[in-house]
Amino acid sequence: MKALYERYHIAVKEAPTKIKLPPKFLVKRYNNCTNAQECTQACIYGVHEAKEDGKIADPNEELCRGCYMCVLKCPKAAISIGINPEFEKLGNSYFSPDRIKTIYFEAETGRVPVSGAGYTGPFAGPGFDSIWFDFSEIVRPTRDGIHGREYISTSVDLGRKLQSLKFDENEKLVSNVPKTIEIPIPIILDAPFKCGTSRNLQLAVARAAAGLKTFAIVDAREYSSDLARYKASLIPRINHDEIDEFENLVKKSQIVEVEFRGGDVKDELKKVKAINPSALVSCRFIYDAEAPERADTLAKLGGDIVHFHVDDGVVERDPDSIKNAILSVHTYLVDKHNRDKITLIFSGGIAEAAHVPKSIILGANAVAVGVAYQIALGCNVCHENMHSQGCPINLEDGDVELATQRIMNLIGSWRDQLLEVLGGMGLREVRRQAGETGRAMFYEDLEARIFGDKE
Amino acid sequence: MMQGELFKKPIVKPAPSQYPASIEKYEVIIERSKCSMCGKCAEVCPTCIGASAIDIEAYQKPDGYLRVAVPKISCTGISCQRCVHECPDDALSVKLSPQYIALGDARWTAELIMSTWEQAEAGRVSKKYEYRVGDSGGGFDKLRFDFELDDKEICDDDPSNNEDRDTSIVLNKRNDGRPEIRIPIPVYSADMSYGSISLNVMLARAKAAEAWNTFTSTGEGGYPDELIKYKDHVITQVATGHFGVNAETIKRAKIIVLKYAQGAKPGLGGHLLADKVTPDVAKIREVVPYISLFSPFPFHNVYSVEDHYRHVQLMEDVNPQALISVKVSTPVDVDMVAIGSYYAGTHILQIDGGYGGTGAAPDIAKKNIAMPIEYAIPIVHNYLVREGVRDQITIMASGGLRTAFDVAKAIALGADGAVIGTAELVAIGCKRCENCERGKGCPSGIATTDPALRYFIDVDWGSQRIINLYSSWKRQWSHILEKLGLDNIRKLRPNDEVKFKKGRFNHMVHLDHLK
Repeated sequence: MKALYERYHIAVKEAPTKIKLPPKFLVKRYNNCTNAQECTQACIYGVHEAKEDGKIADPNEELCRGCYMCVLKCPKAAISIGINPEFEKLGNSYFSPDRIKTIYFEAETGRVPVSGAGYTGPFAGPGFDSIWFDFSEIVRPTRDGIHGREYISTSVDLGRKLQSLKFDENEKLVSNVPKTIEIPIPIILDAPFKCGTSRNLQLAVARAAAGLKTFAIVDAREYSSDLARYKASLIPRINHDEIDEFENLVKKSQIVEVEFRGGDVKDELKKVKAINPSALVSCRFIYDAEAPERADTLAKLGGDIVHFHVDDGVVERDPDSIKNAILSVHTYLVDKHNRDKITLIFSGGIAEAAHVPKSIILGANAVAVGVAYQIALGCNVCHENMHSQGCPINLEDGDVELATQRIMNLIGSWRDQLLEVLGGMGLREVRRQAGETGRAMFYEDLEARIFGDKE
Repeated sequence: MMQGELFKKPIVKPAPSQYPASIEKYEVIIERSKCSMCGKCAEVCPTCIGASAIDIEAYQKPDGYLRVAVPKISCTGISCQRCVHECPDDALSVKLSPQYIALGDARWTAELIMSTWEQAEAGRVSKKYEYRVGDSGGGFDKLRFDFELDDKEICDDDPSNNEDRDTSIVLNKRNDGRPEIRIPIPVYSADMSYGSISLNVMLARAKAAEAWNTFTSTGEGGYPDELIKYKDHVITQVATGHFGVNAETIKRAKIIVLKYAQGAKPGLGGHLLADKVTPDVAKIREVVPYISLFSPFPFHNVYSVEDHYRHVQLMEDVNPQALISVKVSTPVDVDMVAIGSYYAGTHILQIDGGYGGTGAAPDIAKKNIAMPIEYAIPIVHNYLVREGVRDQITIMASGGLRTAFDVAKAIALGADGAVIGTAELVAIGCKRCENCERGKGCPSGIATTDPALRYFIDVDWGSQRIINLYSSWKRQWSHILEKLGLDNIRKLRPNDEVKFKKGRFNHMVHLDHLK
């Protein structure tokens, strides 16, 4: 018998990969070492171990956590610890080495990253780094979601909503309530980079989406027959002028994403609905200055979802781009009284767990994650440079299961971190966080209020 | 005030590092293939290379380079380089050492960590390291006292050489018949539990608190019997898990702190990972060993200011002579929380900013929840001034205050004093490696419950290091007061609202807003 009530749960488990990151620390033993072996005693992580012949082995840098005890306890001062230049070369200024390391940890374990000592980073920064969450203290009850004692919902609805309901004189509903689809996390998986569109990667992404009970976007041209069994979890992405070509895909999908490259939405919505009246249509644009008006037009036209991909066209992202994009679209729709009609999805720049609730508090309903899960599978964000060749995400048939698990672990860890934030804020569900900028604190506001001239 | 006059400052005694080697800022490298072993370098630099007694055997090994590694005698660095210039073979180079580059972070830079070590060793600062600000790019790191803008002044003036000024503050301003309690320095030491730190560290901190006639706190991990000796200087913390809290420990304390939230993980409650719940820790917390311990959030009997009042009353019922401190963090409405606490009868309001320390917290919380303390202090201060109650409550700031200058800036922004945690741990050897939370905990023997590692920290040595740090801080506060022409630190706190105009307020300047 099916349970009447099921708690959403992401089954995470250890998923170590063959692709190892370079260790963060470089441990060097200089030639004035006299084999005193103080370091083997000092290191509680096993970096320094004696070999069978009693001589000291080369340091195992992968285990080093930068505590400097070996440096301090060496009677000859023969050890040095530095930052590994190979580690510093990882990623780029946006997907920084530490972010990549965190993603690896999350994908490997599915756990929430926990550490000791206080925060170690800059005071504030551009983009998402200029936002702090409010939390509940004394006068507002908090929620205890992470340890499961209270249920916090992370579900969101995709689709169009009515502003009001109409009833006839017999109090019968006459409004035609549009269909919405509930997903248990405010995250969908975006289609992978072009370089990563191998059959097995598509398969892993589709399987992860199914396991997470959410959706994965897949380029219609990459929609192979292997993926058909996951069709309930897939959103085909179709060029706006190729809808007829992929009629079959439209027919069998719950959500269809129509991709626009500039230009206006004309009859595409009608076209999709004509082929499959129950399908939700997501219109995808690259975010630009016209985005707020586009979203407003679509809200009025009866669109279900607008997906803005924030892409500055360069490898080194401007962290402010996605923050400003979400705020501009959300506030424009609020001003036009059309915000609640339509679902807003943003992608491009979701690089860490905190970016999910931050996007939502700025006004998104959900986010699409792309690069982050590819990093979890070994992508080194080479972007255009080496796209066609030598991509480390080279999934053999036997690797699909591991890759699936790593994507699920990453999202599982992000969901638990979302629960931490929601619990701390005293929110019972993530829907209530959307656009709640009053429960966020902004660097620019506080700075102006306290140290600036603002009254 | 009698207490202040009778108090004798503890004596600074050298408390050098207990390790044979040290982390140095610079290192000297000899390129072996070029070196003719003329000995010129040792001649021009008797303190460093000359004293190093280069290991000839090691030197003759075939590797290309040899680092001149001199335990505890440090190279003065790139500004000197006499050895480099005088070397006829061009075989020497002086550069920043890799550990200096790797050490620390934006908030606690390598310079700050090393200057804190230096102060803990000798009780004063040298000009070798930056000892006032970090590199986080905001808050305290962008605030300066106006005299600091005059570079010449700071260079000419040795902060170690000025007369002692009154840096005492009063913790009870309510005039309610309970003790006033004056502490001679405007700081006491932060809540850290037995479990998050070792017993030896707790004892070292308590001993230092006794020497400075100030306080330390039990944190939420019970009250070990060994601490009873210092009971007049130990604050009993009552937190949501109530670990080891009972009528006896509440009655014992001169100050009781009700912990509502912690800046590093506000809204989330405490979490001691299973690895650190050793049998000793379990016994004192009255729990089962090696099971993760959660302190729930929040107090489930406090959901309003009225509940909060009852909570404070409850403590009063058990110990009517104790001062009540309330520890809160910094949400949007921190000012409302503050005024609520005032009306609930609190003597001390401790506001713990979002960047505060922790033995273990989710990274997402450490960075992203609650505002930094630099904003919260003026928000709370201004609100209490407007409500007309500012002079009846003591505000202690915590969460990201690393240096004597941070404390002084916090006071200039509206706090009465500060609560110091991490700086004390750095003084006894913490390197901010962030590994306190699991396994054996801290490899330096500080934030650990491992029965062997805890002996790394000797109680007398540790307490002397903390005493020395505060001696150095007191010198710096006196220096600041002298520069500002104030005779005591209570006058540094503004009486009116904090309002920056063109980046300036009273004695303070914010570099980003300066016009």
